[in-house]
Amino acid sequence: MPAEYALNNVWIGLGMVIILFAIFYAVGYFSSRKTASDEDFYAAGFSIGPVTNGLGMAATWASLATFLGVIALILRLQVPFVYLWIQWAISIPLLTLLYGTSLRRMKAFTPASFIRQRYGKPSTIVIVCWMILIMIMYALGQMVGLGQAFELLFGVPYNIAIIVAGLATVGFITIGGMYGATYNAAFQMVVMTIAMIVPMGAIMKAMGSSGWWFPPLAYGDMVPDMIKNIPTFFDMKYDFRWYFALIPAFTLGPVALPHLAMKVFTSSSVKSARWAVVWFALFLGLLFSGTYVVGFAGNYFTATTGRIIEKADQTILILNVFYNPTLVAAFVMGGAIAAGLSTIGGNLMAIAGLVGSDLLGIIAPNMESAKKMKWGYAALGLGGLAAVLMAFNPPRFLVTSILWAFGLLATTATPAILLGVWWKEANKLALIISSMVCGIIFIVISPHVLPSICVGSGLVAALGMSGGMVTIPLSFAMFIILSIAFNRMPALKAYAPTLADKKVIDRIHGWGPDYDESRYNGIKWPLIISAVCVAVFIWGLQPW
Amino acid sequence: MKEKIYKKEIRITIIFTVLLLLTGHSASIFVLFPGLQQGTLWGFPIQYIIPILLGWFGIAAVCLAMTLVCNKFDDEMAEYVKTLAPETDTSTENTQK
Repeated sequence: MPAEYALNNVWIGLGMVIILFAIFYAVGYFSSRKTASDEDFYAAGFSIGPVTNGLGMAATWASLATFLGVIALILRLQVPFVYLWIQWAISIPLLTLLYGTSLRRMKAFTPASFIRQRYGKPSTIVIVCWMILIMIMYALGQMVGLGQAFELLFGVPYNIAIIVAGLATVGFITIGGMYGATYNAAFQMVVMTIAMIVPMGAIMKAMGSSGWWFPPLAYGDMVPDMIKNIPTFFDMKYDFRWYFALIPAFTLGPVALPHLAMKVFTSSSVKSARWAVVWFALFLGLLFSGTYVVGFAGNYFTATTGRIIEKADQTILILNVFYNPTLVAAFVMGGAIAAGLSTIGGNLMAIAGLVGSDLLGIIAPNMESAKKMKWGYAALGLGGLAAVLMAFNPPRFLVTSILWAFGLLATTATPAILLGVWWKEANKLALIISSMVCGIIFIVISPHVLPSICVGSGLVAALGMSGGMVTIPLSFAMFIILSIAFNRMPALKAYAPTLADKKVIDRIHGWGPDYDESRYNGIKWPLIISAVCVAVFIWGLQPW
Repeated sequence: MKEKIYKKEIRITIIFTVLLLLTGHSASIFVLFPGLQQGTLWGFPIQYIIPILLGWFGIAAVCLAMTLVCNKFDDEMAEYVKTLAPETDTSTENTQK
C-alpha cells in the first residue's frame, strides 16, 4: 500500500483498539457472572429482549467482509455485487419464519438439537460434521481479516498480528459465553454502524455531494458524474440465471447457519424473537446501505481522482486516511475489527454448541450439565485456537470460500432442517444419503478441489453459485423422492419416521397435545417441489 | 377449527416467504423485465435504488407485518390448545432419543 494511505500515528490506532477490547472484556466478565448453566452458556438463559437481540443478530451477520471484502467486490463488480449483498438481509427473517420460532419452542441450543430429536443420532453426526467444517471455515476467514486489520493498524508483521488478535478475541468470547457474545455483539453493532456511516458524511462532503447529511441514501447528486466517468457502473451486467442462482446458493445457505439460528433461540419468547427480526432488518439495512455508499465512493474516488486503490479490501481505510483525520480513520478500523469479532463470537459459540451440546449429547448423553458446559468452553477455545493456527498459513481455498461454504451448507443441512420441520415423511436414511451425496458432488463440481471437473466457470463457479444451483435442488429432490420410496419399503422400516418423530413436528408448531397424523404429511406438494427442483437442476447444468 | 388453523399457518408461511424473497431479490425483476429499467428516484437509476430500499425498509415492513400476523396467529393457536384436554402421553421426555 502506498505510504500516503497508511495510518500516520500508530499510537492512536493502538489506543482505539485497547479501549474497544477493554470494553469487550468488561462485558464478557460481567456477563460470565450470569452464566450458571448450559442454558445460560449456549442460549443466554433464553432471556434476551428484542432490541438487544436485533442488534446482536445484525452484528453477527455483518462480518468483517462488510467493511473489507464487500466494498472490494463492489469496486470490481460494481452494482451486481450490491444486488448480491442486499439479499443476505432476508436470511434471518426467513430462518425465523421457516423454523426459528418452531425450534425456539423446543428450547433448542442449535439447529442440530432439532436434527437429533427429529432424525436420531447418525443423521445428527452427519449434519453436525458439515456444520463444524463450515463454521471453522467461516471463523478462519474472519480471523485472517482481523490479522490483516491489525497488521494495517499497527504496521506489525501478519503472524504477530494474528496471534495478538486471535488470542485477545478468543479470550473475551470464552469468558462471556452467550450472554457476553450477545451483549458484546449489540455494542459492536453500534460501533460498526457509527464507524461506517458518520465518517462517510465528511468524505461525501469533501467529494462535493449535497447529501452528506445522510450518507446511506443521499448521494444521488453524484450519479451524473459517476455515469460520466464509469458509464457501466449501474448496469445489471449478468443474465437472469445469475440473479436466480443467488437464491439457492446464498439465500438458502445462511438459513441453516447455526450461529444465526442461535440468535433466534436466545430470545426471551417466540414473540420476542419475531420482534427482534424487525429491529434486525432496520439495523442491518442501515449498515449495509452504508457499505454500498462506500463501494460507490471507492469507484467515484478512483474515477475522479485518477488514483489507484491497489488493495481493494482497504478501500474504506484509504478513503478515511485520504479525507479524514487519523483519529477517525483509527475508529473506522475499530469498527471493522468489531465486525470481525462479533462474527467470530457467533461462530465460536456455534462450534461450542455443536460439540458441547449436540455431539456430547450423543456420545455421553448422561453427562452432567456443568460438565457439558466445561466441554463447551473447551470446544470454544479449541475452535478459536484452530482458526488462529490455520490463519498463519491460510489455505487460499479456505479463505476465499466463505461464500462457497454457504452453498455447501444449503446442500447438506438446509433440506434436513426445512423438510424436517414441515414434513412428517422426511426419512432418516434419505437425509443421510442426500446430504452426503450432494455435499460431495458440490465439492467435486466446484473449481477449488478438482478444477478439471467443474460446473460453470469464473466467478459463479468460484463462489459456489453454479454448483449450488445444481446440488441444492438435487438435494431437496433426492431427499423428498427417497423419503417417499424408503417409507414404503418394509426392509427399511427402521429408518421411517416413528410416531415420536412425528409428534415432535406437531409440538414445535405449537399444537400442544393435539396430534394429527395427516398434518404436515402430504406427498402432493413435496412431489411438485421435487419437480421444480429437477427443472432448476437441469437449468443449472446448462453451460454458463 | 383445527383444519382452519392449520391452513392458515401454511398460508401465512407461504405468503411471507414469497414476500421476503421478492423484497430481497427485487433486482431480479429488473433483469427479467428490462423495460422497468427506466427513470430515476432521488437522482439514482430506479433499478439501483428500488432494490436497496426494498432490501432495507421493504424487508423491515414485511418483518413487521410478519411479526404482527404470526404473533396474533400464535394467540389463536394457544386459544385452540386451551380448549383441548390436558396432555397425557406426549411429554418432551417421551420423544427424546
